[in-house]
Parts: sequence; C-alpha cells; structure tokens
Amino acid sequence: MGSSSITGRLLQYVLVLLVAVTINFLLPRLMPGNPLALIAGADVGLLTPEQRQEVIERAGLDRPLIVQYATYIGDLATGDFGYSYRQKRPITDLIAERLPWTLLLTGIALAISAVVGTLLGALSAWRRGRFTDVASLGVMIVLESMPSFWLGMLLVSIFSVQLGIFPTFGAITPAAGYQGLEAVADVVRHAILPALTLSILSVPGVYLTMRYSMLGVLGEDFIRTARAKGLSERAVLLRHVARNALVPVVTVIALRLGFAFGGTVVVETVFSYPGLGRLIFEAVSGRDYPVMQATFLVFTIAVLISNLLADYLYPLLDPRARAAS
Amino acid sequence: MRFNPGRTGALLGATLLIAVAACSPAASTAPSEPAASTSPTAAPSEAPTQVARLRLGIVGDESTLNPYTYVTGFPGWNLLMLQYDSLMAIDEQGQPQPWLATAIDVSADGATYTLTLADGVTFNDGTPLTSADVAFTVTYFQANTQSRFTRALRGVESVETPSATTVVLKLAGPNPSFPLRTLADVPILPKHVWEAVTNPAEHTFDSVTNVGSGPYKLVEYNSDQFYRFEANADYFRGEPAVKELVVAKFADDAGAVAALRAAEIDMIVRPVAPEQIEILGAEAGITINKGPQFTTTMLNYDTTKFPFDRVEVRQAVSLAVDRQDLADTIYLGGATPGSAGWIHPNSPFFNSAVVTKTDVDAANALLDGINATDTNGDGIRELDGQPLSMEMLTPSNDSLRLRVAELVREMLLQIGIDAKVASVEQATWEAKVWPDFDVSKGRDYQLAVWGWSAPVQADTGQIAQLVHSDPAVGSINLTGFNDAETNQLAEELGVTGDPTRRQAIINRLQEIIADELPFVMLLYPDGAYAYRPDVYDGWIFITGRGIMDKISLLPPEARP
Repeated sequence: MGSSSITGRLLQYVLVLLVAVTINFLLPRLMPGNPLALIAGADVGLLTPEQRQEVIERAGLDRPLIVQYATYIGDLATGDFGYSYRQKRPITDLIAERLPWTLLLTGIALAISAVVGTLLGALSAWRRGRFTDVASLGVMIVLESMPSFWLGMLLVSIFSVQLGIFPTFGAITPAAGYQGLEAVADVVRHAILPALTLSILSVPGVYLTMRYSMLGVLGEDFIRTARAKGLSERAVLLRHVARNALVPVVTVIALRLGFAFGGTVVVETVFSYPGLGRLIFEAVSGRDYPVMQATFLVFTIAVLISNLLADYLYPLLDPRARAAS
Repeated sequence: MRFNPGRTGALLGATLLIAVAACSPAASTAPSEPAASTSPTAAPSEAPTQVARLRLGIVGDESTLNPYTYVTGFPGWNLLMLQYDSLMAIDEQGQPQPWLATAIDVSADGATYTLTLADGVTFNDGTPLTSADVAFTVTYFQANTQSRFTRALRGVESVETPSATTVVLKLAGPNPSFPLRTLADVPILPKHVWEAVTNPAEHTFDSVTNVGSGPYKLVEYNSDQFYRFEANADYFRGEPAVKELVVAKFADDAGAVAALRAAEIDMIVRPVAPEQIEILGAEAGITINKGPQFTTTMLNYDTTKFPFDRVEVRQAVSLAVDRQDLADTIYLGGATPGSAGWIHPNSPFFNSAVVTKTDVDAANALLDGINATDTNGDGIRELDGQPLSMEMLTPSNDSLRLRVAELVREMLLQIGIDAKVASVEQATWEAKVWPDFDVSKGRDYQLAVWGWSAPVQADTGQIAQLVHSDPAVGSINLTGFNDAETNQLAEELGVTGDPTRRQAIINRLQEIIADELPFVMLLYPDGAYAYRPDVYDGWIFITGRGIMDKISLLPPEARP
C-alpha cells in the first residue's frame, strides 16, 4: 500500500468524522422538547420571565445555531466537551470515569466471543451436517435472536435473585472498602453477568462467519491438493483451512469492537453498570444535550477506529490484499 | 486507493445506526421481571433502634449534592437535606414545625418573621451556626440565582440580625405559604465556607468542603455508583438512629427491585409500581409501607376553546369518569379516587362538603340539554355542527397514564364523546400542554392526561397559581380557566394569614372547582415504599410525601 493511498484513506475517515460530528450536533437539537425544564429543575413553570431568560442565556441556547455549532467545533478541537446540564460537572470527567468500565466489559466480551466463536465455528464446519454442527448452529441462531435486555434480566433473576451467586447491579459493592485482591475479586464478580450477556450476544456473529469461511476454504482446490499430498487431517485443518478461514473472521472481530460499544447501552442499563452506555441512556432520557453529543461522539470514534483497524489488519493477514494495492 | 463513496456511506450508516439506536427509548425498555416463588412470612417484630449501616437505592445520579448541584426535587432535595437543616421542618402530617428556629413570631400584618435560633447548633466542622449564617444564606441565594431556593427567598426584602440567635425577616407583603415553601425548604449554608464560592453551580464540592449542620455528612461520592454518608453524632436534635447510609444508584426501577429482593439494598427510595406491590410484599423479609401521596393524575383541557369552553361539557366529562374504577383497575387499589374539588381527602384542608360522583345518565342529560346530540348516528354527539371528537394526549413513557387514558376513552364513549388516545413523546406532550413552560404563551391541545408533583397539592396556597386567569399569578393555570370569583378568592388567599379565613377561602375554592371544573381531578396515586424491616424499621410516612426524609432516620424523640 502506497503512502498516497494511506493519506487518501485517512482523509476519508476525517470526512466521515466531520459529518458525524455535525449530525451529532444537530440530532439532539432536532429532538422535541425544551431543555429549560432540565436546566432549571422540575418547577420551571414558576420561574419569572427574567430568570427564564437568564437560564437560556447562560446555556447559550439563545444564540444562532451556526454560532452554537462554531463554538461546539472550537471546544471539541481543544478537547473540551463542555458541561453537563444535569450533573453540573465537566463531561470530560464523566467520560473519564465511565470509559474504563465500558472498555472492561467490551474487552472481556470481545475476547470470549472471539475465542468461543472461532473454535465453535471451526468445529461446526469440520463436522458439517453432523449432530455437532446442526445443534450448535441451532443454538447460535436462537442466541442471536435474543433481546439483550431480556437475556440480562433473565440472568439477574436466576443467578442473582434466586441463586445469589452474583451481585444484581453495579461495578463494585458500594462502599465496601475492599483493598487489593479483594477489590479485584469484587470487580470480577460484578463484571461476570454483564460481560456474559454481551458475550452471548456477540458469539453468534463470529461463529457464523468462521463456519461459512471454513466451509468455503474446505471446498478449495489447494485443500484437495494438501489432502492428496497425504497430510494428516489435523495438519490440513490447522495449517491450511483454519489459517485461511481466519482472514474474514479477524475483520468481523475488528468491526465488532466498535459495535460492542453500542451493545453496552442496554446491558449497562439492565445491570446498572456505570459505563458509557448508561451515561448515554441517562443523557437521552434527561435530554442532556452536551452529554449526548459527547458520548455519541465517543461511540462514533470507536466505530471509526475499529474500521480503520480492520482496514490495516487485512493486508497484514492476506498477502493478496497487499499485492493488489 | 480511490475515494469510494459506497464504503464511506456504509461507515456513515454504521455510526448513524449507533446514534439512532441509542436515541430510541424502546432500545432500553425493560419489562418487569418474572415473579419469584417465595412464600410470605411475617416481618420480625423486633425493631432495631441503632443501626450500623443502611443501604438505600435511588434511580439516577444526583450529582455532588450541594444546594446548587443536586438534580431532582425528589429524591435529590431529600438527600441534600440530610446534610443541611432548614429553619423549620416538616412533621408527620406534612406541616412545618420549629427546627433550627425554636420560636417563630409573625407580625400582625403577616410580613415580618422574627426567628429565635436553637442554642448550641454547630456545623459538622465545629463552627457554631448563628444568625449571621442565616442572613448570609438569604443574600447568597438571592444573588446566585441558579437554585430553586432563589425563588423561595424572592419575597424577602431585608434580613436583620439583632443578636447571634435572632433573625428578623421582612417580606414584601404577607405570604401565608412562607413557612412551608421557604422556612421548611431552604438549607442554611455555612457562611465561612460559602463566602469563598463565586460560581456555585460549577463548584464541585468534595467531602472536605461539604459542610452542613444536618444529621449526616457526605463522605464519599462515586458518580453513578453510590453515595456514603456518616451520621453526625453531635446533631443538635439527637444522634441519628442509623450510623452510616449508603445510597446505591440504579439505572432503572427493575434493577433496584432485583437488588432489594437479593438483599443487596435495604430500601428503595422511589415508590414501588402498583403491579410490584403484591409481589414484593409477599416476599420474605420485605415490608411495603403505604400511604397517601400528593402527586396527582388529572384531565386537562383548553377551557377557552370548543368544546370545553362549555361548562356543561366539562361537567359531563367529570360525571362520566368512574374514579374508583380507575383506581381499582389501573392502580390495583393503590390510589385514592380524586376529589372534584382538587384537594386530597386526607389533607387537613379538604372540604368534605364537596361531592364527587359518577352518573352517566346525568352526564348524558347535561349534553342533551345543550343540544349536543348524535345527528348522524355514528355514536358521537355533535355540538354546534361539530362532532365531540378530539385527541387526548398522554406521555408515552408513562404506562400508567396511558392506561388511564385508555379507560377514560371508554368512559367518555358512553356519553358520546370520542377522545382518541394520542400517546406522544414526553417532551411533545409538555410542549403542547405547556408551551415553553410559560402559560402566557397559551396552549396547543384540547384534552390531555396531566399530573402535578406533590408540592403543588401540599401547599394549598398553590391553588391560586392553578386557577387564576392572569399568567402573572396563575403561572400553572394550564387550562386557561377564567372565573371572576375564583380570581378574587385566589388573590385574597395570597395575602390572608388568618387560618380560619384561609380555610373558608379554600373551602369555597374547592366548591367552585368541583362545579366549574377548570380540570377533572382523577386520582392521587398512593405511595408504596418497599424496605427490609429486619435492617431498619424506623420509617415514618409523612402525609403526602412518603417515607424518605431525614426525620425517618432520627430517633422518635428527635423528630419534629
């Protein structure tokens, strides 16, 4: 890949980012409702007209849209996401507090779904048409169609409320004062159910890709050649089939990285997990414009980065893609 | 590589998809969880008097909990007031009683309040609380306007401090609501801490600067996870019954209910949904405390436009709705049927002479009497050539109100009124009924299911704001109601301090509201609070307000 094509591709990403930023700015403003209620509190109707005006001016909502937009872009460029109407704290602080929790959940879920999905997919393809394949394919299709909030609540109901094995909510036990290893164990116990929910939801995607990719490779001429050479079935599968089948799977996993963030909105709400997804949920329900913009932007950037990653990983894995460009 | 519009589009689509999915409230809707099969057992009768730790559950974050940063009126204010004290405090009947101020003398003209402060009150950093702190609080809230307490203190013209324990507040005029709305509401700030704070709304307090005189001190704030409070052992009314309070933050009600059932928390601060009351109440170790609350569910309509400008139509609607049926069917009995005169039957100000009845025949007769008849045989009456057909707005995020709307629709069909249920986004609903939250901007609806928060009902002085036709007085008159006698009574109520005369005015207003129907009061949902009595059983139900108040955490002798 030449340097000009790298520049071209980066330009493309910058353009997409700009469009996304603009949509981000406009979306909350196109939603119905007056943010005044939120800024001034529940009894906004009892404000005098002067107090009302003062509130609007302080929030900059009386300025022309284009001026608000320019201010927004300028602030973004300096890393200033602004102030939360609702929480009355800098949004950068809010994101910094929540991002690690979301990364933890999505990281675990992605690792589990990559390993389990790839192995099961390979096994399924190898045993194509036999019981293992049919059964796992059936299970995966059922899992893929499950609503995440339903799955999450089911897990809470069984493992937390009935069996009492895992905590029902949060990322840590509130004010437990745990130290060292105890604290780590506490975080792990809290992460298991939400991470499991996220994993269950993302395994089928990896599994299906791996299975179909394997089946495709199994039908290739070079596999017949390998078998004809007298290689063992094990060597054929591992060295020739799986390696080649993995290329599209890696792309799918890299793309999932971005979308995994989106999946956390529901899961973090069900488990009251203090991540970015819950921050979005609360910002949307409270019409907290600046927080909505900032969190959407973080999600957008996550998707763009994962796409970029997929773009650059592909030629590394597949020599043909390198040769082509 | 060439620019590839298809790929760019796909990328853009992907990012948009995420943004839109996150926007949609449906994406995060969660149904109530399946019921557990546990048998009911009696709650232990031994109530502990001193509790080491109590864990409460709230929904959402209340930020750093100082008077300028807390988020909601309930439970934000209630949590805030754990750390601060007001000059008066609400008792079990919901009435203001002496607190920081042990004596409250009101001048004959009702405009001067002379307050004597309790002896020996200190802030939790050891500094004594004096009249200088009270005077500072008044001027500080007046000068820094981003707080609800600014409005509460608006009528205070001057504050004098003749001695360290005496405060004289001079009001612009008599204000009978002053004790409830101001003296029992405004937290007294420590002057030595706040005089250095220039931008309170953006000043993030921490456990060092969070200084108050209240029974608790906030010692830990973990955004979106929990608060931790420690009891103030030297509290001037007596040591709190609970040593440490942990307030866990949930994303939704279902999460809090699951945590209570799993004994990870000991009490849910919000009232429990009607369909959960029986399930939770049947669970071993969980008790439900029920009582009257002052939140309201009502029908609002534009009384300045067809057809609700005709009093007969309004009266027919009120006669056609079966309030008991609404309370039984939708709230499963967990609601008090509305009084047509607005005031809750459990309120000390209720006028028992006001009769609220359901009579479909009488409603039909009223409509027949104004020649509103069904001329084309479609089952819907026509009045002055127009069908009695309209939209009934209800907020889509409130399933109880939606069910109220659906039942009311059936009830109104019996009298030939076709009110189509329009479930709209909450913001749209607000914007139509109360454009820009400013009554002077008019209305953009015909009929809507509406409701007010508890303070509107709790302060009887608010009737004036609810029914006076001038937006300057009737700031929450969302139905455009205009009646000369009502206006005159509402004005008199605003300046009358004499309790007997006030009661007479309030009684008359209830009669007018029941006859003229500026709105149709449907019901008052009861409060039902779930907690684990084996951990703490000292909760008291404050009429109209529920159980989450600092006085619930004080020993009985320390309560007002």
